[in-house]
Amino acid sequence: MSDKPGLLAAKAPSSLGSYVVEVNLKPEFADAAGLTALRMLHDAGIAAARGVRVGRLYDLRGPLNLGHVHVAVRELLCDCVTQEFRLCHGAAAASPNSAERWRVEVWLKPAVADTAAESVRAALGDLGMPEVAVRCGLAYHIAAKCGRGQLDKAVARSLANPSIHLILVHEDR
Amino acid sequence: MPPPAQKNRAPAALDAAELAAVQAHFRTLRREPTPAELETLARAWSEPCRSRTFAGPVRFNDGRKTRRFKNLLDETIVKASRRLNRAWCLSTFQDGAGIVAFGPKWALAFKVEAHSHSCAIEPHGGAETGVGGVIRDVIAAGLGARPVLNTDHLCVAPPDYAGPLPDTVRHPRRILGSVVSGVRDYGNRMGIPTAAGGLWFDDAYRLNPLVFCGTVGLLPAWAVRKEAKAGDLIAAAGGRTGRDGLRRTPGAGPDGNDASAVQVGHALNGKRLLDALLAARDRKLFRAVTACGAGGFAAAVAALAGGRGARISLEKAPLKAPDLAPLEIWLSESQERLLFAVPPRGLDAFAQACAAEGCETAVLGEFTDTGRLVVTHAGTPVVDLDLGFLSRGLPRAEKAAVWTAPKPAGAKAPAREKGLDQILTEGLAHLNVCSREWVIRQYDHEVQGGTVVKPLQGSRHDGPGDACVIWPHAATGDSDDFQGFAVGHGLNPAYGRLDPYRMALACADEALRNLLCVGADVSRAALLGNFCWADPDDPEQLGALVRAAEGCRDAALGLGVPFISCQEILRNQSADASGKTLAIPGTLLVSALAPVADVRKSLTMDIKGPGNALYLVGSTAEELGGSLFHQICGRCFGCAAPAADPRAAAAMFKGVQAALAKGLALSAHDLSDGGLGVAAAEMCFTGGFGAALDLDKVPRRSAIYSDAVLLFSESASRILLEVAPDREAALLKALRGLPAKRVGATMANPVLKVAGLDGRVVMESALSTLKSAWQDALPGRLG
Repeated sequence: MSDKPGLLAAKAPSSLGSYVVEVNLKPEFADAAGLTALRMLHDAGIAAARGVRVGRLYDLRGPLNLGHVHVAVRELLCDCVTQEFRLCHGAAAASPNSAERWRVEVWLKPAVADTAAESVRAALGDLGMPEVAVRCGLAYHIAAKCGRGQLDKAVARSLANPSIHLILVHEDR
Repeated sequence: MPPPAQKNRAPAALDAAELAAVQAHFRTLRREPTPAELETLARAWSEPCRSRTFAGPVRFNDGRKTRRFKNLLDETIVKASRRLNRAWCLSTFQDGAGIVAFGPKWALAFKVEAHSHSCAIEPHGGAETGVGGVIRDVIAAGLGARPVLNTDHLCVAPPDYAGPLPDTVRHPRRILGSVVSGVRDYGNRMGIPTAAGGLWFDDAYRLNPLVFCGTVGLLPAWAVRKEAKAGDLIAAAGGRTGRDGLRRTPGAGPDGNDASAVQVGHALNGKRLLDALLAARDRKLFRAVTACGAGGFAAAVAALAGGRGARISLEKAPLKAPDLAPLEIWLSESQERLLFAVPPRGLDAFAQACAAEGCETAVLGEFTDTGRLVVTHAGTPVVDLDLGFLSRGLPRAEKAAVWTAPKPAGAKAPAREKGLDQILTEGLAHLNVCSREWVIRQYDHEVQGGTVVKPLQGSRHDGPGDACVIWPHAATGDSDDFQGFAVGHGLNPAYGRLDPYRMALACADEALRNLLCVGADVSRAALLGNFCWADPDDPEQLGALVRAAEGCRDAALGLGVPFISCQEILRNQSADASGKTLAIPGTLLVSALAPVADVRKSLTMDIKGPGNALYLVGSTAEELGGSLFHQICGRCFGCAAPAADPRAAAAMFKGVQAALAKGLALSAHDLSDGGLGVAAAEMCFTGGFGAALDLDKVPRRSAIYSDAVLLFSESASRILLEVAPDREAALLKALRGLPAKRVGATMANPVLKVAGLDGRVVMESALSTLKSAWQDALPGRLG
């Protein structure tokens, strides 16, 4: 399991834009996927988990500017009535041995076909966007006072599959 | 080309004898094989591409005599099917799927494929790949078939398994959930109904779950034959080629982390490919087609070329990533790709037909008449192989197989501490019997609008159907033709633990019985066999496999129903948490397909009303080995697995079919796990009407003195019929000479009441209690 925050973005050529967009349900909406993830974490041994919210991650790389990204998000990636989005900037938070809130990113490994990303890529083309590379992922915001090792193991047993997924675990701040 | 350090490294898939054969061949050519040639041979000769064990020589000792098979599959199942020589079998054991006639104008292609290892590693992706793979095999059957039905049969450990598991193994609950979602996501998105299948739970599947995915496709009768000709262009269509499925390939993939052992399906690409293929087929724009599955382009080109010859330029293949090495392109197992043999004059029209559906195409090369497979990449030679050596050069080493019948298990004293009602309730709540609604409701079984008999039946649409009936009017475009077809299954590894031969007979019998119960014409049925076994190098495992193959042979001959396709997945064993090797039980899935002359006359299994008679057709014996009853009460009474008599069954099926065709029964249900008790309970609570049974009336082969045996014996070839009072005489006339007796009647009172041999009521259970036990079990165990 890797904890290198810039692993996905690091491969983008510097001349091209690289953006990671996270789309979450607004806090006032119940998060069914989060409830399922919470139960899975409980079953995997994280009894201290109190809540989970699940966000969708889109890693967009190519000749894009911020304007393109905002159009992509508003027109395609985010339902602005029920969802909100943010751009993930800079290095992620540190990954301590224990914390009360965690952020877990789950991405498909580069060699694994990302069919959702292929659909997003085609849809961005339909919106008139430049040709971009897309990868899709999930962000789990987990409220659980537990150790990093315990969480790593539980995530690998429940929310992700290390055979095909890249898992990034950080403290959620 | 692969890096120099890996040049000429022998692929792991070739064993010493095969390497020696390769060495001898290339010695005659006075040159060394290239890595790509070695890999091509390894893939072409591998177990998934070539049935090395099943189609190989076997020395079989059954304790009395030794027999030799030069080709186990050919000399058992294929030989039986040839002997039957049924005219409606249009293509058997040749194409990617078996093809049978479906009326004068149409044909049905049917294939079931088992997946194991990929579903253990990544259950969702593995299941998607399984469904996608079998769909591709069917759409590439003949000159292309339109899928009209998907099936899925899963063998997994109980979802609440609490024992230790190795760290790398996913919990059975997660495997079950992910596999179901994988089947759902691919089938639903392709717009194919998933309407038949089953679930079998056994702890021994915890390391190696089995996922059997099946597809039935409809094609015009003229499109069954295909043949590529020299000069035809080799066109690839569909998804791009990436590094999918390359982890096992030495030298393929820049590093271990970057190569995936698991392919990921893309249903939308699959749909585009299907639409493009059908459009091109109807305009007769290609001469042959095959799916790219295990072995990628390497296996597909060789299959399509036959013995002819082919020339391929790999740089023309559309790629997902620009840095793929030639060997990776050649062997990639990326999904949703088909290879076509296109006459040069039709290429433009073919490309346009594909482009119209958003499906990418590329011409990779052409078929030749040189008998050689010549592959280059930007002018650099990659492979130059004699196709004759590729197809016939595999050395066949004889394997030893031994069968030792298990010692008869001693019957214990009857477990009288459980009453019949308690045994029945526990039986209905058993994981191998209980409601599969949690799974079925996740699948779209209605898309295409032709699912006439659905997987869930009865007044509340929640009872267990025997088989589905499909009316493919959306595919034929003819709403006035009410011909349809039914698909059913038989699987019971518990019998196989006692005797794989009897298991095979029972599975074939059950699959046909299921079809019979929905009104299908089983005299025109076709069977498929999928064998999942452990290590074939273990003589005992192989001996059991031989027994199962012989059982299939005898079932086919006795029932008069041919097999049209078989597949085996072997080496299903892994080290458990303590390091011991855990093998799956030898598992055989028999799938059956039969036409239904008029889908409007199909039958369901729910009781239709009070005051009707219940007839049991087929005789009962004390056969409880591997039964549900033994799992609940321990071994007591007869411990032999049910011994089906295929010839007697064929006569019985003929009589029942004639009776059903005359409309003499209101409902029919086959007796399988849990015997008469479970079958009657299911019919009652599905219909919402009660029934009274008299065990003394049950037809039997020998003296039976126990109510429990009569109620729960799992003797094969038995069907329970609901008959209106005014049809009883006609039914008895139709069933003359068969073991058929009136064993009870239906009633409005919602209870199942059973009178024992002594005439007293030995069981009376409320249907609500029985149904709750049946319905609540799986959700309860899933947590």
